[in-house]
Amino acid sequence: MSIFTQNRSVRIFIGILVLFTLGVTVMSEAYGTGAISVSFTKVLGMTLCLCLAALAMDLVWGYCGILSLGHFAFFGLGGYGIGMWLMTARTEAVVRANLAGGVIPPTEAEVSQATALQIFSVVGAEDWPWMWAASDSLFLSLVLIVAVPGLLALVFGWLAFRSRVTGVYLSILTQAMTLALSLYLFQNDTGLRGNNGLSGLQNIPGADAIGQDRISIWFFWASAVALGLAYVAAAWLISSKFGNIIRGIRDDEQRVRFLGYRVESYKLFVFTLTGILCGVAGALYYPQAGIINPDEIAPIASIYLAVWVAIGGRGRLYGAVIGAAVVSLLSTYFTGGRAPDIALGAFRIEWVDWWPVLLGLGFVLVTLFAPKGLGGLVDYIVRKDRA
Amino acid sequence: MSSLLEVQGVSVTFDGFRAINNLSFQIGMPEMRAVIGPNGAGKTTFMDIVTGKTRPDTGSVRWGDLGHSLLSMSEAQIAQAGIGRKFQRPTVFEDQSVHDNLRVALKKPRGPIAAILDRTTDTDRARIAEIAEEIGMAGHLGTRAGILSHGQKQWLEIGMLLAQDPKLLLVDEPAAGMTTEEREHTTALLKRLAETHAVVVVEHDMEFVRRLDCRVTVLHEGAVLAEGSLEHVMADDRVVDVYLGR
Repeated sequence: MSIFTQNRSVRIFIGILVLFTLGVTVMSEAYGTGAISVSFTKVLGMTLCLCLAALAMDLVWGYCGILSLGHFAFFGLGGYGIGMWLMTARTEAVVRANLAGGVIPPTEAEVSQATALQIFSVVGAEDWPWMWAASDSLFLSLVLIVAVPGLLALVFGWLAFRSRVTGVYLSILTQAMTLALSLYLFQNDTGLRGNNGLSGLQNIPGADAIGQDRISIWFFWASAVALGLAYVAAAWLISSKFGNIIRGIRDDEQRVRFLGYRVESYKLFVFTLTGILCGVAGALYYPQAGIINPDEIAPIASIYLAVWVAIGGRGRLYGAVIGAAVVSLLSTYFTGGRAPDIALGAFRIEWVDWWPVLLGLGFVLVTLFAPKGLGGLVDYIVRKDRA
Repeated sequence: MSSLLEVQGVSVTFDGFRAINNLSFQIGMPEMRAVIGPNGAGKTTFMDIVTGKTRPDTGSVRWGDLGHSLLSMSEAQIAQAGIGRKFQRPTVFEDQSVHDNLRVALKKPRGPIAAILDRTTDTDRARIAEIAEEIGMAGHLGTRAGILSHGQKQWLEIGMLLAQDPKLLLVDEPAAGMTTEEREHTTALLKRLAETHAVVVVEHDMEFVRRLDCRVTVLHEGAVLAEGSLEHVMADDRVVDVYLGR
């Protein structure tokens, strides 16, 4: 495709992604030296998924100027979509194994009932909620991972954009959306196990014989492929006339209207597309995380997504990826108990508590000294090299 | 001459202030018309109404032979119907090259899917080159619009208007910030356009209006005060009172 020959940053990005993937594979426990533990492989795979979400955020905010503070809701919906299938299939296998010892083989209805009891007893229910109807089919679940976030983004975007809600009002509305969804999922009778969320998602049905060492690297590969494909597709999209138009909308949407473009259709297209991208990213993320609960789509999560893109530099695709990777890995380092605490006599800096302060400080520093973000610094260094 | 645009009895009020007061206006095709008037006479609001940005409280705005009402159409639909607008303050997409600005304006299908699949054909390339030549930017196609001078941005916006290929051109102060030579070029271009298009020019500069040599409509307090040749309206005492100041 001509996007490779025309766009240097795409070639460089894909090159680095391939090298990184090979590097991690060579150092993995399953296929290499074992220098990278299974849990760290998962962290890296999850980071790639977050990069994918940030890429979507950059398209919608950095290129189209819609500061959505609700895109993590779509990410979470993707996670719940795959989570329902994983949990159903896994629990059903366990139930079958338990019932197999009986004299009379269990009927399908009995298996289904026992599975439901197993999954929902934690919230005091024993029947399948309606939203689990597709959970016994992997294919249908995969369709829903795309369809549910896409449909929510489509309906929400249609209502918001046709009323010409823009700027900070739209941001507040998107925050309200993700908060409402999160509160809805917190309820036990919603049918998604309330605050318990879905767990045991790292156990892939039918793959009991395969260890987590191999499964972790497979998900890492899948995440890398998804990020690579999305990056190329996004670069292609913004290099087309469509890209010129959405950047025009970002800078002066009224002007674009007077040129005869229906701005609402363009915004809705970008909003829905990025919602779907976030859904796919979430569906790859949560099997690696192992658990999803409504806290994941709290309003702060979507704000973090915007912070990553701002730190990385919006309006450049690699900026979003760099921002998400750097900030989320640092976050893992400082909040995961790895960073040594600093003792200052009577006072002690515990990084778990101080990480938000550090992040805030970093955000201020980037805004002051690198207004185009970390991606802008990359531009600066590359240009300097060439000069 | 059948009229292309017919505005009848239009009024619009902002917070109790009557910006347009029972205004009627019509223009045929081809025709050139200059609209003059003091600040606050309603010139920009008039353009806003025609292009769909502002909805009038009363009155009708009809378009074309079939007399479609523009009031029920969105800005984008009105633009697609063939009304192009150049703003007073040049508004180009500063972040993008001159070529891309023209490409976005070029008359082609306006839907998102069409935009994704759009390829610059030889015809497009030729048309963009032709417009760039016309606006004196043949050598600047790759330049980022943000670093152009004020006059060049004016030209680029006129170029975008040409690329849009509208039937009616609403041009707000085209000569602002231009050198004498550029003004002459603008005058010639507008006159040439007026041979095949309807052109409405809003202008403050009387010398420029004189050079356009066309019918003049004088607005005052949101209504038409006088209409006719420049000599005719200048001879009107009321016009002299409100516009030339006493």
